[in-house]
Amino acid sequence: GSGGLAGARRAAELGARVALVEPRRFGGTCVSPWSWGADGAPTGGGRETRTGTFIHDHADYGFQTPSVKFNWRTIKEKRDAYVRRLNEIYENNLKKAHIDIIRGYGKFTADPQPTIEVDGKKYTAPHILIATGGRPAIPPDSEIPGASLGITSDGFFDLEELPRRSVIVGAGYIAVEIAGILSTLGSKSALLIRQDAVVLRTFDSLISSNCTQELENIGVDVWKHTKVKTVTKTPCGLLDVTVTSSVPGHKPTEGVIRDVDCLLWAVGREPNTEDLCLDLVGVQVDDKGHVVVDEYQNSTRRGIYAVGDVCGRALLTPVAIAAGRKLAHRLFEGKQDSRLDYHNIPTVVFSHPPIGTVGLTEDEAVAMHGKENVKIYNTSFTPLYYAVTQRKVKCVMKLVCAGKEEKVVGLHMQGVGCDEMLQGFAVAIKMGATKADLDNTVAIHPTSAEELVTLR
Amino acid sequence: GKNEYDLLVIGGGSGGLACAKEAAQFGRKVAVLDYVDPSPQGTKWGLGGTCVNVGCIPKKLMHQAALLGNALKDAQHYGWNISQPVHHTWSVMAQAVQNYVKSLNWGHRVQLQDKKVKYFHMKGSFSDPHTIRGLTKAGKETIVTAENIVIATGGRPKYPTHIAGALEYGITSDDLFWLKESPGKTLPVYCPFILHLSGLIVCISLTDTSPDVSLECAGFLTGIGLDTTVMMRSIPLRGFDQQMASLVTEHMESYGTKFLKRCFPTKVEKLESNRLQVTWKNTDLGTEEGDSFDTVMWAVGRAPDTETLNLETVGVKTNSETGKIIVDASEATSVPHIYAVGDITEGRPELTPTAIAAGKLLARRLFGQSSELMDYDNVPTTVFTPLEYGCVGLSEEAAVQRYGSDNIEVYHAYYKPLEFTVAERDATQCYMKMVCLREREQRILGLHFIGPNAGEVIQGFALGIKCGATYRQLMKTVGIHPTCAEEITKLHITKRSGLDATVTGC
Repeated sequence: GSGGLAGARRAAELGARVALVEPRRFGGTCVSPWSWGADGAPTGGGRETRTGTFIHDHADYGFQTPSVKFNWRTIKEKRDAYVRRLNEIYENNLKKAHIDIIRGYGKFTADPQPTIEVDGKKYTAPHILIATGGRPAIPPDSEIPGASLGITSDGFFDLEELPRRSVIVGAGYIAVEIAGILSTLGSKSALLIRQDAVVLRTFDSLISSNCTQELENIGVDVWKHTKVKTVTKTPCGLLDVTVTSSVPGHKPTEGVIRDVDCLLWAVGREPNTEDLCLDLVGVQVDDKGHVVVDEYQNSTRRGIYAVGDVCGRALLTPVAIAAGRKLAHRLFEGKQDSRLDYHNIPTVVFSHPPIGTVGLTEDEAVAMHGKENVKIYNTSFTPLYYAVTQRKVKCVMKLVCAGKEEKVVGLHMQGVGCDEMLQGFAVAIKMGATKADLDNTVAIHPTSAEELVTLR
Repeated sequence: GKNEYDLLVIGGGSGGLACAKEAAQFGRKVAVLDYVDPSPQGTKWGLGGTCVNVGCIPKKLMHQAALLGNALKDAQHYGWNISQPVHHTWSVMAQAVQNYVKSLNWGHRVQLQDKKVKYFHMKGSFSDPHTIRGLTKAGKETIVTAENIVIATGGRPKYPTHIAGALEYGITSDDLFWLKESPGKTLPVYCPFILHLSGLIVCISLTDTSPDVSLECAGFLTGIGLDTTVMMRSIPLRGFDQQMASLVTEHMESYGTKFLKRCFPTKVEKLESNRLQVTWKNTDLGTEEGDSFDTVMWAVGRAPDTETLNLETVGVKTNSETGKIIVDASEATSVPHIYAVGDITEGRPELTPTAIAAGKLLARRLFGQSSELMDYDNVPTTVFTPLEYGCVGLSEEAAVQRYGSDNIEVYHAYYKPLEFTVAERDATQCYMKMVCLREREQRILGLHFIGPNAGEVIQGFALGIKCGATYRQLMKTVGIHPTCAEEITKLHITKRSGLDATVTGC
């Protein structure tokens, strides 16, 4: 995947002899249509629904559009073809770099030196990198009867048709993105949040509340404090999902969502480590199965490293790539200090509209610096795009500053364009930009981004 | 006697209003004069200045309309069944845009009231350094005196009056945004049954001083389905990085805008059908050519609006070539207590945000005990052509000139926005480059980006560059995936290396 390929290629560029073990297609989670982009990027999915939402605005801008219908098959075929092309490109890149490709599932052996076995053949190297990523979790049927009747994000792209009625279970960004896509493309969708009243619980409170509201605005039926009790298949082949809602201060109630075409579990991801025989080589894992690594991606066994989703920290493609490359420079170029800084990593959620976030949430900043040392700047506005449309979607932004010099420690926003807006600000925040620096930057007009440099 | 006002601002545009409102915050007695002379074609508008009425705002909205037109074509590839071709109705868009602009006019009136700034709908001129004579449309006169006066009257589009028929038959951006009917439709006079629905328009740019206006307009006119031609005498986007400028125009050409390069018009005549016959000289071939169009739009530069101000009476010095008011770093003119901000000032960028910032800082220096001057370095900007171009800092040519090509390093990349893939869109001109100093830290001198949402992409990087960002620091920033903006953090191929700069994938 992202981490493994990047690490392998960079090592080869630096003169190392490299072999890569991979049982499936090249590219990993990020690219594969058979799984979900852990960074929250449904390859192409976000764009097709963005087109969908904008179609409603065309009439306001003067275009005569008769009724518009969506065809799931068209995008599925194109998307699959594009992904296959990417798979080929990745394979070619490996061959061009003279990296040996070993096809199959690898696992560690009991040999004294760290050794990998693939289909009966053994391979050894002074440096072994684990980059096996993760997979979506699904509750066992013993816990929730009928859970296996649902699919995960892995199955999402296998769907041949747009589901008429969808139920998405989860409140993280994968659940949010999938619910947004399905609803906008025309599937009657419900989202079940087990514990809370908001999605994206670990994000800044502005984002969690705003995103939850925006999901409701686009027509997703958001069920709060609700968990799935059982799932049964009806005679006509659809699903009935029985749920219990436990609103705090009230008695729990039970309900049934009937005739569901698609039940999708988006309740977390698990690392792919159980079949690696890590115990044979003394590589420690945490209670969820993630490989325990230090800041330099070293595992608890000398000569064995891990990067990417399998480590369980900052599950993002660019993070895996950067960590993989930094490791290659450390091992093969003698750059002893080469490692990735995991602070201030920017990330985007492709909700409707998209979310951009980097740094500390307001609560984290207050906990770290004390309330008196934290200053918050907020704004909420309707982007110019909506000046002539009936439909209006606001943009919200929050800047979290700490200390006397008002250093920017966090930036959180949701609105049209926030996905492309964030990158440049992330650079500046990493450099230690202050509120005064933002104020001293001239605005670009008319954009939404300019609101960040004109905050009062 | 005592002056009536602490501050009088002549001109209710971006700079003027910002200055007036900021001064009012300090509890000062402030007044604003605003007046719009109708264009030669008779177009006029309300309070807010160029940006609100005939600039940034209507332009961006119409640019957005054109982008939506493209999106409709892309939508097919994404599985949306829409019967093509889709038609665009100018009057629906124009009315929506014009109504929005009018709401902004109203908003500005209300804001001035709320902040207790006195508003005069009058044309002002100097009687003496502290006295302004205001004239209403009806000719009623009012005398206003002020301790400090700020001139913020901006500019208006120029007409090439030496070309026969130019003034009589051509329009400018002043008129384009207020047209009720499509510029591609000639009003039928002799032939009432003929309606040109996809008509022909010409945008002409002679001296390239506001070439971005002509390119932006030509871009969205093409995008909404009108047959559009740009005629230019020399280079596009003069003053901008020329490699980026040619990529922008290349993209427009591949999307259907016609270009008549190295041509200049010699006359414009009206035909019996009411269409316009334009004759021009092709300097490459040395020949004379002609064709007929529904609308001719001039975008040959903007002239400062100083003629009727009576500046000579009070001794405010202007640049003899441009006519713009000469100011120092504190926006002061040659006359004490008279200042100028915005498009009217010599040597400043013609941009709304710089006018606003300069106006605010001026008010703070006059009334708020501040000494902070406006910093005009590293001002970011975006050209809203169909494929947008955002930039901040030096062009490659300017950097080479200032530091020498041996002392700079240019990182560049051709990339493909993910959304173009499924839509099968040509991404040949999606390109970015970063001009850095070559020495160790490699401080970033300029950043140039062509692609969708360029304005949104560049803003944050402008902040970084303001903070002195270096190439190294940029590379330390983790990319956001998948976006176009992340490609900037992945730049690593230099022009010097001669290697292929096409992005290959993770």
